[in-house]
Amino acid sequence: MELTTQQKYMLEGSDGNGVRRAMEILMAYGKCYDAKRLIPVVSVHIAGNFPVLLDEGIDWLESFAEGGTRVRVFTTKNPEMYDPEQADDMNIPASYRKRQGRIHDVLKKLGVTLTYSCQHYLVGNVPRFGDHIAWASSGSQVFANSVIGARSNRDGDHVALAAAVTGVIPEWGLHIGKNRKADLLVDLSALNLDVYGPEDYKALGWSLGKKVGTHIPAFVNLPSDLDIERIKGLLYTLTVTGAPGMVHLVGITPEAPTIEAAFGTTASKPQVLTVSQAEVDKAYGEISSSTNDKVDLVIFGCPQCSIQEVQEIVGLLDRKRINPDTKLWICTSRWVKTLCERMGLLKILTNSGVRVVSDVGAADGPHLYLRDQGVRVIAVNSARASYYAHNLFGMETWFGSTKECVLSAISGRWEGRKC
Amino acid sequence: MLTLAAKPITRGIAQGEAMVTRMAISFTGGLDPETGIIREPGHELYGQCVAGKILVFPCGKGSTTGSWQYYAAFKKGNAPKGIINQTAEGVVAVSAIITGTPMVHQLEKDPFDCIENGDFVRIDADKGFVEIMKQQEIKNQDDQVSSLC
Repeated sequence: MELTTQQKYMLEGSDGNGVRRAMEILMAYGKCYDAKRLIPVVSVHIAGNFPVLLDEGIDWLESFAEGGTRVRVFTTKNPEMYDPEQADDMNIPASYRKRQGRIHDVLKKLGVTLTYSCQHYLVGNVPRFGDHIAWASSGSQVFANSVIGARSNRDGDHVALAAAVTGVIPEWGLHIGKNRKADLLVDLSALNLDVYGPEDYKALGWSLGKKVGTHIPAFVNLPSDLDIERIKGLLYTLTVTGAPGMVHLVGITPEAPTIEAAFGTTASKPQVLTVSQAEVDKAYGEISSSTNDKVDLVIFGCPQCSIQEVQEIVGLLDRKRINPDTKLWICTSRWVKTLCERMGLLKILTNSGVRVVSDVGAADGPHLYLRDQGVRVIAVNSARASYYAHNLFGMETWFGSTKECVLSAISGRWEGRKC
Repeated sequence: MLTLAAKPITRGIAQGEAMVTRMAISFTGGLDPETGIIREPGHELYGQCVAGKILVFPCGKGSTTGSWQYYAAFKKGNAPKGIINQTAEGVVAVSAIITGTPMVHQLEKDPFDCIENGDFVRIDADKGFVEIMKQQEIKNQDDQVSSLC
C-alpha cells in the first residue's frame, strides 16, 4: 500500500502507540482486500458497550487510548448499558456502573462525541452523498450506503476506531464506485406489500438476509411511498441474518434511480432471488423464541426510537395504564427524551406506567441487569432486538407489531401472532 | 493430502481439527466468549465448541461489535486456532487481525467441497496455502505408526 509521508510517520509511531496500532490494523485490513492506499474519512461511528466488550475489551480500549491518542475526525458512539439519569431508580449494580464508567472515561479521553445513540444520523452525524465514512454498527452502516449514499464498508469496531484516530481508511470495496453495483435481484412480486407494516419488512429482512450473505441485492417493485420506518425495518434486519454492506432500493437509493443504474451496464444477467409469503411467515416463527404468554417487559428501541415512534406509542396507549406486572420501556437517545419532556409526552407516558430510557438500545445493554432483576419474557417490535436479547442474554422473546406490543403491555400477556 | 492456494488475511501458521459449517457466523450473539460454544438457535454448530479448532465457514454476519466478542473469546482461550472463510467480510477479518489468528480466504477451490468435519487442516497464512488431510489418511498414518511399534 502506498503511504503518504504523514501516514508513514503514524505507522512508525511518531503520533504515539495508539495511532501506531491503529495504522497496523488498517495496513493489515487494507492488505486483505488489496487496497492501494488510505483515503480520508469525514465521519466515524463506533459501537460496542460492556456486554459485548467485556472486561477484555475495556482493557484493550484503555491501552489503545494510552499516551494521549485522540480522534481526528468527528466520531460518535452507539448506546451504552444504562441511563445514568435513572441509575439509582433502576438499581444498576455497582459493578456495571464501574465498567460503564471506565468505557465513558476512555471515550471522553479519546475525544469521541458521546451521543450514545445508534441513530447518530438523527442527532448530528450526517454525512453527505458520496462522503467516505467509517461506520461500525451494521444497521446504520447499510443505511448510510443505501439511503444517504455515503460510502462505508462493513467495518468492525476496531477498524472504525483505527479510522477515527488516524482519519483514514483503506480504499477498497464500497469506497470504490464500481464495487457499489448490485449483483443480486430480489423479486418481491409474490408478496402483497401494500399491506406490509414495518414488522413485516423486518420478517422479510430476516428471511432474505440468510440468502443475501455478503451480496449487494437490488429490490425492485417496492411501494413508491415506502416510509423510513419500513426501510429501516428491512435494512436493520437484513444485517442480522446476513452481511450486506449495501442494498439498492430501486427508486429510493440515490445511486439506483433505475434498475439499470443499480446493476451498471456491464453486469451479466443477475441471479434472481424470490421470496414467498410462506417464507416470511416462517421467519415470524424463527424470530420469536418464547412459548410463555406472560410478558415481563415490552421494550422498544432497536434501533433507538425516533420521536415519531414515541408519538405512535403514545397514540396507541391512549392514556391507558399498562399492566402492573409488566414493564414498558422506550429506549431512545437523550435528545428524543428531551423532546418528549418538552412536548409533554414524558408525563403522559409516565402516567401510563411507561419508562423512557435514554442512552441505551433494546438489543443488548439493559438485558444484562434486567435478567438479574427477574425479567425472562420480553416483547419487541424489532427482530434485531429479539436475536441479540435471546442469544446474548437468554431472554425469551415475542416479536410483533408496535400495536401488538402495546396491547401486550396493557394486558400483560402476548397479544400478537404465534407461529 | 490436498494442498490449496489461499489468500491470507493475517500471518502465521495454525493446524488442527476442522470444524465446518455452511452457515455464516455472527461473533456477537452467535459465539459465547465464556465457553467458545456456538449459541445461535438453529445454527448447524449450535452447542458445539469452536475453541482450538480450524473453523471453516462462508463469511461473518450480524453486528460489527463481533470483533469485541471474538477478542474476549480469544483472551479467555475460547477462540478457534485458525479461520478459513469463502470470502471474508470486514468484521471477521479485523477479529483475526487484532488477535493474530491465522486466517485465509478465497481458496482456489470451494472449501466446502474439500474440507469436512474432523479433517486435519494446516493453514499457512505466511505463504498463502491450506493443507488438508482426510480422516482416513490420518487413520492410515496412525495404523502405519502403530504397525511400526
